[in-house]
Amino acid sequence: MPVSDRRSFLRGAGLGLLGFTVAGARVWLTPREARAADAELQTLKPDEAVSLETIGEAFAPGATEAGIAWFVDQQLGVAPNDSLLMARYFNVPPPYTDFYRASLDAINALSQARHDQVFAELDRDAATGLMREMLAGDPEGWQGPPALLVYLVLRNDAVDVVYGTPEGIESLGVPLMAHIEPPSKW
Amino acid sequence: MATTETDVAIVGAGAAGSVFAALLAEAGKRVQILETGPARELDDLYSSQIWARKLKWAEPHVPEINPQDSLSFNFNAGRGVGGAAVHHYGVWPRFHENDFKERSEFGKGLDWPLEYADLRPWYDRVQKEVGVAGDAEQEIWRPPGDPYPLPPVPRFAQGEMLAAGFEKAGLNVAPVPVAILTRPYNGRPACIWDGWCDAGCPTGALANPLVVYLARARKAGATIQADSHVTRVLSNPKGDRVTGVEYFDAQGERHELHAKLVVLTAFTIENVRILLNSAAGKKDQALANSSGRVGAYLMSHAGVIHSGLFDDDTQNHLGISGGQIINQDHFDKTGGDGAFGSRQWIGGLALKPNDLLGIAMSRVDIIGPELEPFMQNAAKKLAQIVAITEDQPVEQNRVELADDKDAYGYRLARIRYKTSPDGMGLWQQAATEGLEIMKAAGATEAWHGPKVSQHIMGGTVMGDDPERSVANSYGQAHDVGNLFLGGGGLFPTSSAVNSTFTIHAVAMRSADYVVKNWSALTD
Repeated sequence: MPVSDRRSFLRGAGLGLLGFTVAGARVWLTPREARAADAELQTLKPDEAVSLETIGEAFAPGATEAGIAWFVDQQLGVAPNDSLLMARYFNVPPPYTDFYRASLDAINALSQARHDQVFAELDRDAATGLMREMLAGDPEGWQGPPALLVYLVLRNDAVDVVYGTPEGIESLGVPLMAHIEPPSKW
Repeated sequence: MATTETDVAIVGAGAAGSVFAALLAEAGKRVQILETGPARELDDLYSSQIWARKLKWAEPHVPEINPQDSLSFNFNAGRGVGGAAVHHYGVWPRFHENDFKERSEFGKGLDWPLEYADLRPWYDRVQKEVGVAGDAEQEIWRPPGDPYPLPPVPRFAQGEMLAAGFEKAGLNVAPVPVAILTRPYNGRPACIWDGWCDAGCPTGALANPLVVYLARARKAGATIQADSHVTRVLSNPKGDRVTGVEYFDAQGERHELHAKLVVLTAFTIENVRILLNSAAGKKDQALANSSGRVGAYLMSHAGVIHSGLFDDDTQNHLGISGGQIINQDHFDKTGGDGAFGSRQWIGGLALKPNDLLGIAMSRVDIIGPELEPFMQNAAKKLAQIVAITEDQPVEQNRVELADDKDAYGYRLARIRYKTSPDGMGLWQQAATEGLEIMKAAGATEAWHGPKVSQHIMGGTVMGDDPERSVANSYGQAHDVGNLFLGGGGLFPTSSAVNSTFTIHAVAMRSADYVVKNWSALTD
C-alpha cells in the first residue's frame, strides 16, 4: 500500500498501521510485518535493534517476532504527545530516543562487566540474572537511567507487543470485545 | 498577533471546563474554550490500551523533585478535548460530610469554605443530568443525597467472590456508584461491560465530557478550540481584573483572546503554571497569589492494588475498569496515630493484559518462560481490589516553576511532592488489610503492588481566608473578581474517594454563581 498523499496517510492511520520504508517505498505495515519485510529502521541502529529484541525476548518470549524493535523505532519518530510508548507514563523526559539509547548502552555495559559479552550473546540464565539485578535497583557500576525504570519500560514494551494486541489478547483466551477495532495489530 | 473577543474564556476542555461551558453558554454567554491538546471525537477512542496513551499527557514535560514518590501526572492527566475525564473510570462516590471540616473537627488539614450540605444540591443535580448508577441504601456510609437515577452495576464472578471476602473479613460492600449507564438514559446507550474504560468509551455509556457537558456546550453555541496552548492570563496593571488570555496555536502563532471573565480549568498542574507565569500588578507577584499559596497543598491518593489468584474463573475481562463493589467502612477518621484520614476499597476491576494497571504489571518480577503460563492463568483467575487513601494538605508539597522554559519562553512546571505521613500510614493499613480480604475471599495466592498515585488535587485551594487560600467557595480568585478556577486543584482536603463527581458538583455550583452574578462580576 504505497503512501502518496494525505488521504492515504489518513486511511493508514485510521487502520492503525504504522508507516515504514521497504526497498525505498513508504508502506503501511504492522511492526510484525515490518520486521518480516526487513523494513528500514528510522532511529535505532541495527545493533541497537538487536539489543532491544534480545532484551524484549528475555522479558516476554515472542517479542522479537512481534516486532518490538520496529514498534519502538517507529514510535521514537513521532512527537511525544502522539507516542504510544509506555515511557510517557513513567515520566521519561522527551525525546525518548535518548532514554532508549542510554538504556541499551547501560545494559550492554553491565553485560560486558559481568560476562565479557554484550547482552545479545548471553545465555538465558545470564540474561535473567542481569534483569534480576536491575529489578533490585541500580547494579554496582550501572551507568544509565535508573535501572528499575529501564526494566519497567522495556518489559512493558515487550508485553505490549506480545499481549497488548488483539491477537495477543485473544491468545489468552479472552474475547477482545472492541468497540472500535484498534490499529490493525496494535 | 491576532486578537479576538468573547464573554467567557475557558482554559481546558475537561470535566470542570465542560460544565462551566455548558451552563454559561446555555445562559446566553459567548463562550470560547481553549484546549492545549487535539480535538477528539468518540471515533478516536480505539479499544486498545496501547492507543489509550495518546489520551494522556506527555508534553510539556513536568519533572518531579522526588521521582520515587511520583504523582504519575502523565497517567492521571489528560490531553485533548475532554481532558482526563475522557479516560477516567467513571467511579463517582461523594465526599463525606467530615471531609469538609477537618481542621475544625479534627485539628488536621484544612477546612473547606463550604459544608457538604452546601454542595449536596449540585451533587444531586449532576447525578440526575449525567445518569449515575448505584444503590444508595446499600451504601450505608453515603452522606445524604437523592437516590441514584439508575440501577447498580451488575456483579460478575470476580465481584461475587470478592464481596464474599469482604463480608468474611467483617467489611460491608455495596455496588460501586458509577457515571456509567446501566440502562439507556437521555439518548445514551447502556454499557456492555467490556472493560475498555481507560481507552475512552466511544459508545457514550460512560459520562465523559464529549457526550454530556461538552455536547450541551456545543449545542448552546460554545466554541471549542483545540491545539490552543494558553501561556498567561492577561490582567490590568493592578492585577485585580483579568482581561483575557494569551495563547499560541499549532503553528506557534501568538494570539490574545479578550474576555469579560476567565475560567481556568486546565488541570491541577497547568492551572498553577499559568497563574505563576501571569504577572500581577506588584513586582515579583504572580496573578491571584497575594497569599503565596498558588501551587501549595498538592495532594494525591496513595493507592495500593492487591491481586489474588483463585481456583475458579473470575471473569476478570468483564465489567468496568473502575470495579464492581465498594467499601467505605474506614471513613470516620479514626485510623490512629500517624494514619489520620479515610480510606476506601474498590473491588472487581475489569482487567486487560498489558499497560500500567494490566495483568502483567501486577507481577513485574515474572519474566522469560515463566511469563506465558502466568499470563494464561491470570487472564482467567486473577482478581483485584484497590485501596484509595486520604492524603493531607502539606504546604511544602507544591507545583512550582522550573528553570527550563517551554517553546514559547515560559517557565515549565515541576512537582515537589512527598506523600504525607498520615497518607503513608493509611496506605500501610490498607496494604495489610487487603491481604486479609483476599485470603478471606479464597485466593490461593495474594500479593500487593507498590504505592501508586491516583487523582491529583490541591495547588489552588479554596478557603475563607484570602491570606491562606487562593479562591473562595465558588472558585473565584480572592484577588481577582472576574477570574474563576475549576477542578480538583480547588480541593482543600482529598477525602479518599475518586474526585470527578465532586469536580463536577463544585464547577456547577460555581457556574450557577457566575450566571446569577454576571453583571456584578463583569462590570
